[in-house]
Formats: sequence, structure tokens, C-alpha cells
Amino acid sequence: MLEFFIRRLFVSSITLFLISLVVFTGLRLIPGDPARTLAGEDADESGLAEIRARYGLDQPIYVQYVRWAALAVRGDLGESIRTRIPVAQTVLQKLPITIQLSGYAILVAMVIAIPSGIFSALRRNSVWDYLVNGLSLSGLSIPNFWLGILLILLFSVRLGWLPASGFVSLFEHPLENLAHMVMPAFVLGTGLAAVLMRQTRNSMIEVMSADYIRTAYSKGLARRTVVLRHALRNGLIPVVTILGLQLGTLMSGAVITEQIFVVPGFGRLIVEAVFTRDYPLVQGVILVTASAYVLVNLLVDLSYSLLNPRIRVQGRTGDG
Amino acid sequence: MVEPTPHGVPPVNAPEDAPETSAQRLRKRLRRFARRPMAVFGAIVVVTFVLIALGAPWIAPYNPIQTDWSAIRKAPSSAHLFGTDELGRDTYSRVIWGTRISMQAGVLSVLIAIAIGIPLGLVSGYYRGVLDQLIMRITDAWLAFPFLILAIGLITILGPSLINATLAIGLGVTPTFIRLTRGLALSTREEDYVQGARAIGAGDGRIMFRYVLPNIFSPILVQATVSIPTAIIAEAILSFLGLGVQPPQPSWGTMLNSAQQFLQQAPWMAWWPGAAIFVLALAFNLAGDGLRDALDPKDY
Repeated sequence: MLEFFIRRLFVSSITLFLISLVVFTGLRLIPGDPARTLAGEDADESGLAEIRARYGLDQPIYVQYVRWAALAVRGDLGESIRTRIPVAQTVLQKLPITIQLSGYAILVAMVIAIPSGIFSALRRNSVWDYLVNGLSLSGLSIPNFWLGILLILLFSVRLGWLPASGFVSLFEHPLENLAHMVMPAFVLGTGLAAVLMRQTRNSMIEVMSADYIRTAYSKGLARRTVVLRHALRNGLIPVVTILGLQLGTLMSGAVITEQIFVVPGFGRLIVEAVFTRDYPLVQGVILVTASAYVLVNLLVDLSYSLLNPRIRVQGRTGDG
Repeated sequence: MVEPTPHGVPPVNAPEDAPETSAQRLRKRLRRFARRPMAVFGAIVVVTFVLIALGAPWIAPYNPIQTDWSAIRKAPSSAHLFGTDELGRDTYSRVIWGTRISMQAGVLSVLIAIAIGIPLGLVSGYYRGVLDQLIMRITDAWLAFPFLILAIGLITILGPSLINATLAIGLGVTPTFIRLTRGLALSTREEDYVQGARAIGAGDGRIMFRYVLPNIFSPILVQATVSIPTAIIAEAILSFLGLGVQPPQPSWGTMLNSAQQFLQQAPWMAWWPGAAIFVLALAFNLAGDGLRDALDPKDY
């Protein structure tokens, strides 16, 4: 158990190290003087000198990396070229909005996917099963930004029920917040729902054919009890893993969803940063996103190695 | 074809039977695929789109980048089936030409992912050990970058264009192929026919590409088929964001970008390019699903 923990932590730290290397070199792959890249086009000589001193750009490359990484670990991701606001501060300000949007999206996805996945597993090869399968394939195939545009066309342009864009804080106007978030959350949740639907269906089918389910039936338990109390508990374990692995998809989706609905979150930040060639901001955002992915999946792995005794043993042979 | 079959028959034992078996197998698989009407429908739609892409110059009634100031944002009519855009360009012709870009980006990026992913996965799964650990850790780190964010990062460095977008998408899909190939190679290397090939003195490279690869080809083909729609959507997203195809080139993503500014006045501008992406992606996914069932060795 402890060995699994240590092994998993070790693997994750290697991953984080590689991520930091990639992000560090990425900025240096941009043609031109890195000090100029970091300081922006309009920086003067003294500005460049300051940047060089700050990031030690006159030092050998490995010294530069160590300095950069040491600063990053302490939360210093440099500052934006445009606004001169520390990158970490901007990230902390935008991240909650995207987390909130993702939370709503996960909720939407689970509400749609889990019941319909269970339902189609129980009525395998029925019309309902095909319908759910068709829905899930459509959810995978529909470009979410087009779905967003269609929703805006219907609910904002045609019917005028929902605001097409913008963001209102949950704590200031809870209802307004919901009105603004319902379309983005649905758009972001669709792809996830499609994946979860399939996963729930497949894993429920597998679980329902297990011996212990047959035992439960032969004890004379009602189908309802067997499904809800016996099958669901194990059937949903892979679904939780998928949720962790889908974090990246969710982040990618947030980029485009926030763009369509003009939500001032993390995803919009990165697009803006790319267009304004705000390299430190791009670098910071990418570093934070990739690290978050590693940490969340580490937590998912560790938490159910605690919950499920079988994974505890098998985890040692996993490839991480 | 004297490649070993998935049943694990070494070619040295059955050289005469092998060609027949594989032809029969192919026929059997085709039959299984043909039994699924939705899969066949998907395949037909994909082929139709390929034909549209190839025949774009002859099918499109107008020049896709020709502006017409007398026909700005005209609703669909007999002259302009899908209406016109903000510069008076024919939306129908642009959707047709856009097929080329989407197909090209979708297929090429998956080919890039296969070209990088399969060798890395094979080497990783076949040799195991330190090399495997190294490749896997790199793949872990690679996977930690969300697909679109990795693509955006790469385009920041490379600059926006269709080729760079295709490359960025290809690199984004690659880790999936590394992991898949590695997993398959890991189990296949222990098979009797691989051991047999090793016993008669086949080299590592020969074993990997002549014995292991043909036997793990089916799941890779299925993965490729379902990766293409992802890549097509990714290209549309990048172009929509202005990071892929540059105007005035007719890409479905750039068309949706300009459509978004005229939702009130010209909603038709948004319907068709999006519908084209949706239908093409759905067709690939349907065909991929059918392929998965038809090629599944468990159902023999």
C-alpha cells in the first residue's frame, strides 16, 4: 500500500519535472532574444537588462532552468508583458470562474449520462439502448462551439430567454449567474456526457454479469435493490476514473466555450494571451493546467486505492 | 499474405493455408461490417465527403473566395443554396471547398500521430525495461497537456497556419497511439508465433514489424477511424479561434468564426459549416463503431 503511494508520487513528480522542462524550453523555441520575448516588443535596454538579471539569462541554460523552476514552485510565474500584473495573480483570479463552469458542466454531464447509461445497460439491445447509443455518438461528434452557436441562435436571438454572453458572480446574483451559465455548462457538458454515457453502460453491463450479482438475484432480492445497492457501487468506479482523465478534455472545452459565450475565465485568458503574444502568461497558464491534470489524477488514483482493496493490490502492476 | 493470423498460427506451419484464410477472414469481416446498417451508412457518408473534397472544383458553383458586393448576406435561394456571407461569397461553395481542408487536416494529423506513435509504442512494449519507462513517462507528461492547450502552445511557437495546426493536432493525438500500441505489443510479444519467430532467429526489427504489427493492426485502425473526427473538430476549433487556416481560405472553422458576428442578421452562415462538421464527424464515428465490432477478435 505504502509502496503504491510512494511509487505513484514518484511517477507523478517525474511527470511534473518533464512538464516543467517542456514549458521552459517552449518559450526558448520562439525565435529571437528570450529577454525580448519576455519583456515585450516595446521594452527598452534597461527593461531588457532587468529581465536578463531577473531570469539570469546570461547564465548557462541549466542554471536558468533551476532558477525558473525554483521561482515557479514558489508561485512566481513571472509577470504579464502587457499588464505587468503577476501571472500567478491573473491565474488565481480567472481560475475560479472556469472551475465553476466545469463544475456545472460535470453536473450536467452526470445528470444526463449516468441514468441513461444504466438504463441502456439494463435494456441492452432494445430501442432505448440504440437511442442512447445514438445520442452518445452525436454528443461525441457535434462540435461544441457550433452547439453553442445554435443555442445562442435559439435561446438568445430567437426566444430571448437567456443572455448570450457574459458572466455574473454566483455570490452577487445567484439567479443571474445560473442564467448566464446554463448554456455554457450544457455545451461544455455534452462531450463529457457522451463519454460518461458509454462508460456507464459498458461498466454496468460488465458488473451485471458478475457472480455476486447472480448471487444477489438468487437470494431473491428485487432487481431494483440489486442494481442500486450492489451493481451501481462497483459499476461507477471506472466512471470516476474517466472523470479524472477527462479533465483535459474539459479544459480544452472550456477554452472554446468561454470564447463563444464570452466568459472571462481561464480558457479565454489563454487565447487572449496567445493573440497578444503575452508569452509569460501563455507559459504560466499551460504550466498550471498540465500540473493540475497530474495532481488531480494522482488524487483520483490515491483516493480509490484507499476505497477499493482490489485496486490496492493491482495498482502495483499498473503502468502509472 | 503469409503474415500470422490473430489465431496465433505461425506462418512456418501453414504457408499454403494462410493466403486463403486471410481472404476468408477479410470477407467474414466485411460481412460483419455490412450487417450493421448504421456503420455502412457512416462509411458511405465518409466516401461521399471524400468525393466532394476531390471534386470540389467541379461541384462548387462559385469561386469560394470570390467576393460579390451585390450579394452580401443573402438568405438561401436558388442562386445561393446556402446563402451568402458578409463578403457576398457563396456559402455552399465554401462548405464544399472546406471539405478539402477538413479531410486533409483530419487524415494527415492522424497519420502524423500514427507515424510517431506506433514505432514508439512498439519499441516501448517490445523491449520494456528502462526504455519503456522513459517513453511512458514522456507520454504521461505529454498527456497532461490538454489537447487543445498543447495545440495552442505549439501554434504560439510555430505561428498560425493549416500545416502547423495539422502538426499540432497530430502531436496532440500521438500519446493515444503510443499507449495503445504499447499495450497491444506487450501482450503480443508473449504469443507463441512471436516466440517461434524468435526461435528461428528473426531479428527484433523483423519481429516487431512483420509479426507484432500486423497482429495489432485492427485496434489501431479502429482508433485511427475514431481519431479522425476528433482531429477534424480540433482543426475547426483552431481555425475558429484564428489559429489554423487563415482567411480568405474556406475552412468550416473560419466560416463559423465570421458567422458568429452575424447571428442576428444572417443565421444561415452558422448552420451549414457546423452541420458539415457534425455529419462528417458522426459518419466517421459510426463507421469506426462498426469497424470495432467487425474486427473484434473476441467475437470469432
